[in-house]
Amino acid sequence: MKSNQNILFEEIYQQHHAMVMQMCLGFVRGDHDIAKDLQQEVFISVWKNLKTFRGASSYKTWIYRITVNTCLQYVKKKKKEPTFSISEIENQVPFPEQKTPEKRAISTLYTAIGQLNELDRLLIMMVLDNQDYDTIAEVIGIQPTNVRVKIHRVKKRLKKILENNGNG
Amino acid sequence: MVMDNDFKEFQNEWNNNKNNIELSPNGINTLYDKIKKKEKANYFFYYGTIIILLATLIVISLFFYYVAPVKEILSRIGAGLMICGLIVRIGIEIISIGKAKRMNKIHNTLTATENTIRFHQFRKVIHSIVAPIIVGLYTIGFYMITPEFSLYISRWNLLLIDISYIVIAIILFFIIRKGIKKEMVILSEIMNLRKEITE
Repeated sequence: MKSNQNILFEEIYQQHHAMVMQMCLGFVRGDHDIAKDLQQEVFISVWKNLKTFRGASSYKTWIYRITVNTCLQYVKKKKKEPTFSISEIENQVPFPEQKTPEKRAISTLYTAIGQLNELDRLLIMMVLDNQDYDTIAEVIGIQPTNVRVKIHRVKKRLKKILENNGNG
Repeated sequence: MVMDNDFKEFQNEWNNNKNNIELSPNGINTLYDKIKKKEKANYFFYYGTIIILLATLIVISLFFYYVAPVKEILSRIGAGLMICGLIVRIGIEIISIGKAKRMNKIHNTLTATENTIRFHQFRKVIHSIVAPIIVGLYTIGFYMITPEFSLYISRWNLLLIDISYIVIAIILFFIIRKGIKKEMVILSEIMNLRKEITE
């Protein structure tokens, strides 16, 4: 028989696995295997801390926090990241062979996001995921006005990258 | 306006792709397996070093009590220094575990980053100040015992022990130096991250 924690955990997993996976994919430039590992790391932390969840924020915001910290810790573990060339990144993103227009579009987006720095990557992905500034501010731990300024800058950077890559 | 329209398009692409991510049928069971393995690994990560150090402490204490109960005051002080060094080392390991546990991923990014900085600053101090002091105490203690030991073992054996200790000390020096360098790299990366978050 399943415990209450198991039932709650499985509900959370079902509801948020896609959001977490998509964030991890975007963070690691579409590398499916690493993203899968990161996603598992996130849910291991969710399980570990579920008992201490006090409901001060929604489960979604809480999971965002864990996802962002897990992604940033991954960079720390990986130490200095090598600089990727565009072609290297493009080869890394999923579906390099059979690209439908949709797959090509998301590959382009992953490639562009991958050229931003780690924090900017996470910020822009939360915006892409339709999160408001207050939620993002709560996840990062800064003021919403500061988030607004940062996101404006990141959007500009992303646009420039896409233009340089010939997709703007 | 153009940027906003472009961005709406990206958001649609992003959400379409997210909606296509399917739940793998065995995903939750694989996750439970990983959770079990991780809990086991964490247990060894946190308590493995303490268990090894405690075992060393017990072995050394028993050695000085039953096998080679030193009689000279100099030797007794030496044995005391060696044992004290180990006790301090165990104490530091316990504090380190407490600080590592505080680096929880449930905090917001800024708090998590600051906790991580505190942890690595602590480790830097341990590597650069405390560890050399402990090694120093251990070394002094070791050489304080050797005069009395020389009464019971041959000169060549004693020489061999002394030389092997120097080799170990050199290896320890490089290990500590590597540890400090690693902490410095990690610290500078995390401090850059904090700067990015707050600026």
